[in-house]
Amino acid sequence: MKISYFETGRYIPPPDMPREWPVRSSACDTDAVSVALRGMEDRARFVERLGFDWVSLSEHHYSPRILTPSPTVSAAWLAGRTNRIKIALLGPIVPTSNPIRVAEEFAMLDALAPGRIVAGLLRGTTNEYLSYDLNADEARGRTDEAMELILRAWSEPEPFGWQGRYFQFRTVSIWPRRPTNGGYILGTSAEAGAFAARHRMGMGVSYGPFDVMARSTGYYRQQCAEHGWTPGPDDIVYRANMILGETDEQAEAILAGRDGQAPFPISGVLKDALIAADTSRNIAGVRQNANVGGVLPISFCGGPDRIVEQIKRCREVIGAGVLDLSLTDPGTGGLDAMMEALDLFGRTVLPRVRDI
Amino acid sequence: MSFCEGFVEADGFRIRYMEDGAGPPLVHLHGAGGLSLTPAHDMLARTHRVIAFEMPGFGESAENTRSSAMRDLASTMAAAAGALGVSSFDLLGSSFGGKVALWLAALHPAAVRALVLEGPAAIRQADSQPATGTPEEMARRLYAHPERMPLPADLPMNVKLKHRALVGRLRGPDRDAELEAVMAGLAMPVLVLFGTLDRMMPPEMGRHYKTLIPNCHLVFVYDAGHLIGVERPEAFTEVVADFLERREAFVISRRGTVLLP
Repeated sequence: MKISYFETGRYIPPPDMPREWPVRSSACDTDAVSVALRGMEDRARFVERLGFDWVSLSEHHYSPRILTPSPTVSAAWLAGRTNRIKIALLGPIVPTSNPIRVAEEFAMLDALAPGRIVAGLLRGTTNEYLSYDLNADEARGRTDEAMELILRAWSEPEPFGWQGRYFQFRTVSIWPRRPTNGGYILGTSAEAGAFAARHRMGMGVSYGPFDVMARSTGYYRQQCAEHGWTPGPDDIVYRANMILGETDEQAEAILAGRDGQAPFPISGVLKDALIAADTSRNIAGVRQNANVGGVLPISFCGGPDRIVEQIKRCREVIGAGVLDLSLTDPGTGGLDAMMEALDLFGRTVLPRVRDI
Repeated sequence: MSFCEGFVEADGFRIRYMEDGAGPPLVHLHGAGGLSLTPAHDMLARTHRVIAFEMPGFGESAENTRSSAMRDLASTMAAAAGALGVSSFDLLGSSFGGKVALWLAALHPAAVRALVLEGPAAIRQADSQPATGTPEEMARRLYAHPERMPLPADLPMNVKLKHRALVGRLRGPDRDAELEAVMAGLAMPVLVLFGTLDRMMPPEMGRHYKTLIPNCHLVFVYDAGHLIGVERPEAFTEVVADFLERREAFVISRRGTVLLP
């Protein structure tokens, strides 16, 4: 089992900050933001010393909850300040991005940190489309096409043009070239699973219960079989929240005291409209509304022994060989508590799940 | 606009063609399935005088036993264009017709102003075989999304056998050293199009044209199969018409991004 630490910028908002999205820019303490972002280095080096395999990054906008609107910038920063740990971009929101830019940035990162960059591509949820003004009806089509174009840009040896539905480029020939075409498609949908299988890529799922995520990874494995290959454990990533205590009782107490509200939620009419606008969201082909800016579930909770058993079950049910973990809800809690939990995980859990 | 049927004598063949539009002449040479007009023909006829030939031995024409090689058929088609008074033209070749078009351009370079190849079959994977099968089987080979497309015409058996014999005799090796040598000498601008989901000619074949032809532009048409002009006619026509109008300068974007003036 490989273990990844999900780095979110860890800006600790003051208690009086409005709990809404978007959070007004004037509420941003630029000094505190600088400390939070520069602190990514300390946290990445800390988990690197603990033996974590990856530090992961994602793209979110307009609130301090996850303070990495450009995961590529974060990755470049971390690549120069760590030595061994892999840096996983899980990932740029493809339908709102220029796919050639995405292809080029991954290629640059690969050159800057050879063998240490993990590429993930995802569609994202409708709340993310508010930031760059994307029509949700076009998100699926744009994502599918952009991912095809990104892979073509990484693999095609000669200059080429692209005549798409959503993208048109007369000349593509990226420099630097990316030495590998591998990576992960992130999402639970049938479309994501089929795409990943067709291109012999890994798949990343997130936050759902084990049995629900297993439907998605099961569909992915079925699709891989139809394309004549079998994915290994490293081909399946599961991102999840974990509460780890010294004992089960301590972890349950933390869970009981957890704030049941998302830090900066989208609520009311807008939330309902965003859910309604996302007409094609599904898990392995079965219609499922997205969690739009809401609180995310806890998938693992307990002391070290219980957590080890839960990780074993995760492996059995979902098939995940990479766990991408948050040990404190992004946008909440103190930094010290998270660092203590990471340390506890590194000492008491990591050595026991390494060979699962 | 609508295409009108005509016939022209060339090299002793009576050659059928369909013609429509006004403007610079654009000669089209069809694939191994024969001549079939598509929405792309109509769209191209808005800016060009489109002459879509039915090559000798295809369709209802007499069996062609005289063309002994691609170069013969290519010269016949050049003569057919000349017999229509078209001495200089843009040339579009689809699949099998792409190989004929390459030979025509190599043998008659002064006649061809620009060359467009749609899923050309001039360079093929090793041990490739001409596609045959029921209309349903052919649809799965020809289209990225056969479920969205009408079935290809089920030609009479005598026509199929005639096509098969001619294509089998003329198609040549998968890698044709003689043709590839002359491709290196082509001076006119060339546009090569492949559908990203072409199951007849894998789009990876495109890079060979780009390598061999000095002034070649390779464009992938997303989510299209082998018959790009049938499956994605708007995408096909836009890039072909732009290339024919502006040649190499078609890489300079003219698309506006103003939302609200």
